[in-house]
Amino acid sequence: MVRFLAVRLSLIILTLLVVSVIIFMVTEVLPGDAAQQQLGQSATPESLAALRASMGLDRPAYVRYFDWIGSALQGDLGESLKYKKPVAEVIGPRLYNSVILLIFAFVISVPTAVITGVWAGVRRNSFGDQFVSIMSLVGISLPEFVTGILFIVIFASWLDWLPSSSILLPGTSPLTRPSILVLPTLTMTGVLFAYIMRMTRANVIDVMETDYVRTAILKGLPMRRIIFRHIIPNAMLPTISVIAVNIGWMLGGLIIVENVFAYPGIGSLLLVAIVSRDVPMLQALSLIIAMTYAVSNLFADLSYGLLNPRIRIS
Amino acid sequence: MNEKQQGIAPLVQVDQLAVTFYTPTGVVHAVRDASFEIMRGQVLGLVGESGCGKSTAAFAIMGYLPGIHRVEGHISFEGRDITEMSASEVRELRGNRIAMVYQDPATSLNPSMRVGPQVEESLQTNLNLSSQQAHERTVRLFESVGLADPANIGRRYPHELSGGMQQRIVIALALACDPDLLIMDEPTTGLDVTTEATILDLVVDLKRRVRAGILFVSHNLGVIARVADRVAVMYAGQVIEQAPVRELFKNTHHPYTAGLLSCVPRPISEDEVTTKLISIPGVVYEASRDDIDACLFASRCPMVQDQCQEEAPEMFNAGNEHESGCFFWNDVQKGLWEKEIPREEIDHEGSLVLTAENLRKFYGRWQRKYLFFGPRVKPPVRALVDADFDVRSGRTLGVVGESGSGKTTMARTVAGLTPRNRGELKLRGEDLAPEVEERNRQQRDALRMVFQNPTASLNPQLPISHTILRSLRKLAGLNRKESRERAAELLQAVGLDPAYLGRLPGELSGGEQQRVALAGAFAGNAEIIIADEAVSSLDVSVQAQVLDLLGKHQREEGTSYIFISHDLGVVRYVSDDIMVLYAGHVAESGPADSVLKPPMHPYTEALLSAAPVPDPDAKPTTIRLPGAVPTLLERFQGCFFAGRCPRKLGPICDQTPPPERVGPDSHDHVIYCHITVEELKAMQQ
Amino acid sequence: MMTNYTITRTDWTAVFRAGGSGIVAIVRTVRNIFTLALRTPAGRIGLPIVLIHLILALLGTWLAPYDALEHHLEHQLEAPSWQFLMGTDVFGRDILSRVMSGAGSIIGISAAGALLGIALGTIVGMGSGYKGGKTDEVVMRIMDGVMSFPSLLMALLVLTSLGKSAVYIILTIGVVFMPPISRVMRSTTLALKTQEFVQSARMRGEPVPYIIFREILPNTWSVLAVELSVRLSYAILLASSLGFLGLGVQPPSPDWGLMISESRRYLVAAPWVALAPAFAVATLIIGVNLLTDGVRQARRLPLKGTHP
Repeated sequence: MVRFLAVRLSLIILTLLVVSVIIFMVTEVLPGDAAQQQLGQSATPESLAALRASMGLDRPAYVRYFDWIGSALQGDLGESLKYKKPVAEVIGPRLYNSVILLIFAFVISVPTAVITGVWAGVRRNSFGDQFVSIMSLVGISLPEFVTGILFIVIFASWLDWLPSSSILLPGTSPLTRPSILVLPTLTMTGVLFAYIMRMTRANVIDVMETDYVRTAILKGLPMRRIIFRHIIPNAMLPTISVIAVNIGWMLGGLIIVENVFAYPGIGSLLLVAIVSRDVPMLQALSLIIAMTYAVSNLFADLSYGLLNPRIRIS
Repeated sequence: MNEKQQGIAPLVQVDQLAVTFYTPTGVVHAVRDASFEIMRGQVLGLVGESGCGKSTAAFAIMGYLPGIHRVEGHISFEGRDITEMSASEVRELRGNRIAMVYQDPATSLNPSMRVGPQVEESLQTNLNLSSQQAHERTVRLFESVGLADPANIGRRYPHELSGGMQQRIVIALALACDPDLLIMDEPTTGLDVTTEATILDLVVDLKRRVRAGILFVSHNLGVIARVADRVAVMYAGQVIEQAPVRELFKNTHHPYTAGLLSCVPRPISEDEVTTKLISIPGVVYEASRDDIDACLFASRCPMVQDQCQEEAPEMFNAGNEHESGCFFWNDVQKGLWEKEIPREEIDHEGSLVLTAENLRKFYGRWQRKYLFFGPRVKPPVRALVDADFDVRSGRTLGVVGESGSGKTTMARTVAGLTPRNRGELKLRGEDLAPEVEERNRQQRDALRMVFQNPTASLNPQLPISHTILRSLRKLAGLNRKESRERAAELLQAVGLDPAYLGRLPGELSGGEQQRVALAGAFAGNAEIIIADEAVSSLDVSVQAQVLDLLGKHQREEGTSYIFISHDLGVVRYVSDDIMVLYAGHVAESGPADSVLKPPMHPYTEALLSAAPVPDPDAKPTTIRLPGAVPTLLERFQGCFFAGRCPRKLGPICDQTPPPERVGPDSHDHVIYCHITVEELKAMQQ
Repeated sequence: MMTNYTITRTDWTAVFRAGGSGIVAIVRTVRNIFTLALRTPAGRIGLPIVLIHLILALLGTWLAPYDALEHHLEHQLEAPSWQFLMGTDVFGRDILSRVMSGAGSIIGISAAGALLGIALGTIVGMGSGYKGGKTDEVVMRIMDGVMSFPSLLMALLVLTSLGKSAVYIILTIGVVFMPPISRVMRSTTLALKTQEFVQSARMRGEPVPYIIFREILPNTWSVLAVELSVRLSYAILLASSLGFLGLGVQPPSPDWGLMISESRRYLVAAPWVALAPAFAVATLIIGVNLLTDGVRQARRLPLKGTHP
């Protein structure tokens, strides 16, 4: 177990290193650097060179990389080119809003998806299973912006139950206006629920075909016991990593959902950063998102290790 | 029903059972016509080759069949027909009255549950015991199936136990509720011979102890001979012969059974001078074909008559509780399958072709506790430790040992598929590079390999001509046209029609696939062919065909073989020299007769003792190896075999590596043991 | 260490022949998809949906009643009518025509992107998996790194640095899809390379490219076919999402994602502007997924161990 932990941790660190290099490389090749951005297209070559020197952009790329990653490790994410404020200050409240949205979506979708998945898997090919399977197929097929728009048309324009956008006054928490959270959460839940449910169902079906479930059946155990003692514990192991992968998916979905509903989170901020070529902001946001994904994967690995007797023992 | 009647009436009566599966690829007649009875306290052995329907028949009794299927006929258990019971009635029987032991214990136990609770839950469900009672009874059960430390073993997970221990747990689970019927489906098939022997001892012991009827399904006649009271032989979904075990083996009344019996190579026969083997031509009547009004064995039968092609035989009573499904049961003679393939013992010394010195292969490297630092926690696997051996021209070196003994590692290092860590390999005095990619064309041509799994050794997406043609072009250096012609010849030489060249491997049977693999190996000018368990996955009737081809090629071309098998009988049959491996070490090597007649190393002795003999009157052997092959992680202080040696002398075995002794009959016979040949002889008496 | 082999002339013929067998396999696979798809309800629904979209992709511009870019200024934001079956947008453009004409670009871009991803992923995954050792470690760590980004974020990053054009979108999709595909192909290769037929090819002295392309590749068609169909639906999702975020094909091209994005301002007054392209995207992905599911179900129909 100690070794398992050590291996996992060092892999994560290695992955994050690769991640930071990728972010740096991609944002560095953006046409027009920060100096160009500040001075505009009409800048003279001399003034550009001077500004580059003062911003340290004339140094070799690897020096700037270590400079950037070094300060990022100390919590200094640089200054936003658009907002002219430290990046951390801009991101902070936005991150809080996004995390609230994520938690809601996660807490609603994961348990229901797992329960439905087990239910459908155990009753494979029954009417209920086929219904749920088809619905989940539709669920994974609808892009978030399609579901989001549909929800707005139905619940905002037509029924007029909920607000169509989730605009917040700066400095207020979305929890003070829960109604603005409903549609974004529902939209995010859709895909997540459908995907996790499908994978859980598939895992349950795989386990049901194993020899040890046959043994359990031929022991004469009642079906309830077979499901709870033999099928679920073994089907849950692979499901955990599916859930972790979906956290990554959720983070991607965040970008779309926040833009559909104009929700003030990091997803909408990211698009602003891209459109305005705010490199430090873009780097910081990408790093946060990739790190969240990597850490959630680590947690998945650890809980997998804790639950799997093969790893726990050795 | 009173006690007396129960004693007479059969426990289970299977009457004209037929099981048909409807799959997307077609209809499968798994069982066509099976009738047999199982009495209390009796073991019925159900024997047959793969695909004959024996396992399906067993699962039908459990009322458990997969997929879309139809069951015809009757299965009565204590007078009640299982095929007509409701699902809940069947569940009442399962685990409680009828219990089962499965082929693969590793996958039959829940990997995420401790083994104790897996037995306890059956007791709690079926007998309504409290958890305390169930626990106590489980401990007693574990004790009764011969598990060491019964009080604590229940806290282990399946993956922490060896295959033999896992199977004992499964047996304990089956015995948990004192079932009336115990079904054992190939319970020893995946296990080593040494473990198999101990499990069979347990079954024989159970037979005496429990009052249950036992249905014992196996493809292995030797195993059946050891445990069964009565035997039913299945062929193509039909029971074709049935008799008490001695009667069946002595007075065989069906040509198929007679053929099966003469197919099995015996491990050692001190009375018989030459070993011999026959093969049954053709292939099994396939399950996908419809029932016909004829004997299904007719196409392969040496005594076939017109009548056999025109009507289906019924079961004829041959007296002595013996039934046969052959019209001419009375004409079945001992010498029916006389087309024996004699195998001459080779006298010549042969010149040295391949020499291996200090051949060593360790897998992996030391692992540290915290990945890059910390104490070293896990050593590499010492799969093959400093093995020395020679291969001589025109001779066969047989390699035996349990799984984990290093046989396959040895083959792969010689072939260059896994690079050796250390040691020298010389082909006719020339050094062989560790990896096959670094060897030159002549060397690659000289050393070919035939693998265990015929299905995997041919590319499933490419026609069978591919393997042969590529071998001819890459190794023999023939051009396109020449290689086409030669490929056709090669296929004919292995007894296949050249029209097969265009077929995909999936269209061939296992035996045919292996013959194609042989044709590929024969394609160049191989000096040595390494056959790694090349016949192990084949049915006995087909096994002989492949062995015959190997022998013929050797006689004609003077090729040497390294023949690896876990089956002593087969190794004995093909080998001129034998090397016995244990835990990565050479235990003994030398000319076949010197090694086996009589055995002069305790491990060889134990292997011979464990091998099942297809003769119910064979002297019961007594030497058993407890436990399992060591993990190969530790370096042995003393003798590698000391941990399991039934003839262990004492501390010397644990502390000092065994000396190299030379056998009495031959200078080439080397024995690594502290016990001298004379001492062992004395111990054996 | 494994010796490096330069590809000799004969080996190139092997590679070409592998390509030839690839075309044969693709034809065979397409035929199989049709027969298999029609065996299950999911496939029977999915196949016609996909076919309709394919017809639109090929002939949409030609079949459309109006030019997708034509402004009917007297008919701005009109509700569906007999003249404009799905209504008009803010410039008076016929929405039905725009949806029909837009099918080609989204399907073309997604398919090309998915294929590119498959090609890159196959080469990287098989090479890395067969080679093994340190190379494999390094390659897989890089892939892990790329996969730590949600695919949409990665696509946004790559696309911002490349610029906006159909070719760059295809490239982006290819780059984003390469890592997961290479993982799948790597594990397939790892499983296949221990198979005896590969060992026997090694023992014959076949060079590495021959083994990878001629011996291993043909055995991965089924994996590739499933991967392609799954990736195709992800690619449509990704491409339309990029369009929605304004990073896809640029206006005034009739891009479905972009149409939905532009419709947001009139959502209350004219919801049909959004609904038509939303319906189109949704049915396309649903169709592809149903078809994939149908084929997959049909493939593993051999019914195992259900409780009677």
